[in-house]
Amino acid sequence: MSVDDVAADDERKRNTYHFDRHTPEYRHQLASIAGEMHEKCPVAWSDTYGGHWVASGSREVFELARSAEYLSNDHDIRGERRGYKGISIPTPQRVASARGGFLEMDPPEQRYYRQALNPYLSPAAINRWIPVIDELVRASLDEKIETGRIDFVDDLANVVPAVFTLAMMGIPMKSWEIYCEPMHAAIYTREGTEEAARVALLHRQMGMDLAGQLAQIRADPRPGLVNALLELRIDGEPQPDIEIFGVLGLLLGGGFDTTTALTAHALEWLSENPPERERLSRERDTLLDSATEEFLRFYTPAPGDGRTFSADCEIAGTQFKEGERLWLSWTMANRDAALFPEPNSIDLARKGNRHHSFGLGIHRCIGSNVARAVFKRMIVQVLDRMPDYRCEADGTVHYDTIGVINGMRHLPATFTPGKRLGAGLDETIDNLQKVCDEQRLAEPVTARRATAKIES
Amino acid sequence: MRVRVDSERCQGHTLCAMIAPKVFELDDIDGHSSVAGENVPADQEEQVREAAHSCPEQAILIF
Repeated sequence: MSVDDVAADDERKRNTYHFDRHTPEYRHQLASIAGEMHEKCPVAWSDTYGGHWVASGSREVFELARSAEYLSNDHDIRGERRGYKGISIPTPQRVASARGGFLEMDPPEQRYYRQALNPYLSPAAINRWIPVIDELVRASLDEKIETGRIDFVDDLANVVPAVFTLAMMGIPMKSWEIYCEPMHAAIYTREGTEEAARVALLHRQMGMDLAGQLAQIRADPRPGLVNALLELRIDGEPQPDIEIFGVLGLLLGGGFDTTTALTAHALEWLSENPPERERLSRERDTLLDSATEEFLRFYTPAPGDGRTFSADCEIAGTQFKEGERLWLSWTMANRDAALFPEPNSIDLARKGNRHHSFGLGIHRCIGSNVARAVFKRMIVQVLDRMPDYRCEADGTVHYDTIGVINGMRHLPATFTPGKRLGAGLDETIDNLQKVCDEQRLAEPVTARRATAKIES
Repeated sequence: MRVRVDSERCQGHTLCAMIAPKVFELDDIDGHSSVAGENVPADQEEQVREAAHSCPEQAILIF
């Protein structure tokens, strides 16, 4: 580089911030870091992780997220295109064998995958499953209702999203435990530890089960997201198994821990704010929707995504060069006072809540309707069946770092015991599997429009 | 009041249909929003304004 190039580069990167979201400090100082960045540098250059841009201002995030023509999600695994590194910053140490599904693809390829899966995940598609979700929640609570003790993560928020995601995929629901722990543990387990070795083993077992399911569904098709991926043709061609596994990994990653994180945080907050909890329960018909969006905004389970600039460009007042990396911080954009008055307070009735928690633009979370439906059904039953629950700070475990998912490991609580309403979890899952298979609930909404019918 | 959804911008966040279900319809297949007609009944104006403010993609045009 010439002296002039260096000077020009320094000028472009004059707004700097040492941004490391993979530290405990970030979790504890989130609000003040966001406030500082909003004030000084809503787009900032950070030297961390090989150097990358960080967008935290809502206006800047909006313009950037919608500039798909200049921002690539591509993860060029085999170095066949431009060497871009996908949506994780830093790039994970473990060498990736596949892209993270369509989240690490650009159009037009990305669009074909979404079109194939939309009819399984649209609001109309998810509404068919509500009776199934309700039964899973009922059974999970029934397992604990007579004891007066529950762990909202282990016994509820981990369970229902996992079982339901498998049902939508067309994988037997009773396998949920093979998938549940590795998916969660992968988020909070540090690479290189003894625990990591155990988690890696669980991951391999999950991978083997998934591979077996793929083979079975290919040989003897049954409806669901797996089948949709097997049937997908782009330019008349089926998609390679390695890409299908990447998409399934994305659906599992998106389907499990994020909804768990949202539910746990919301239940914890409601326990700490009993008058608000009572108000939510009493006014749920008018308040549950806005409360859900507010918990989404405040807790932002999936905190952001990486991008690579695919061309030199100027967006939101900053000049970027092709190949530079960008972190779009949904979390910090969600705390922008310019868009959200009193951004660091939870207002269950918040208006104008156009939060970023499902992303913005063409990569908007395809599972957003699943998240909202499952969250609401869990919250409503907890409010109804254990209205006086008290979370115990001793035993509550938040993830140390929230750079990947803003989640929780444990949330123990006590409550006044109640009565079981039906069968336990295992028996309920067996019954629901029959319902799911007989009524072919995992078909796309275009093939099957009606809501699930469950005999009580 | 008249309202339109910019179908190029809409990404199916569905907040509009939660806030003003009588005005915004969601596509069965992808959850994208549209309006049956541009005219907004007087008793829906407040909800439509709120829906426009709540759209993350700023895809709702009031005119």
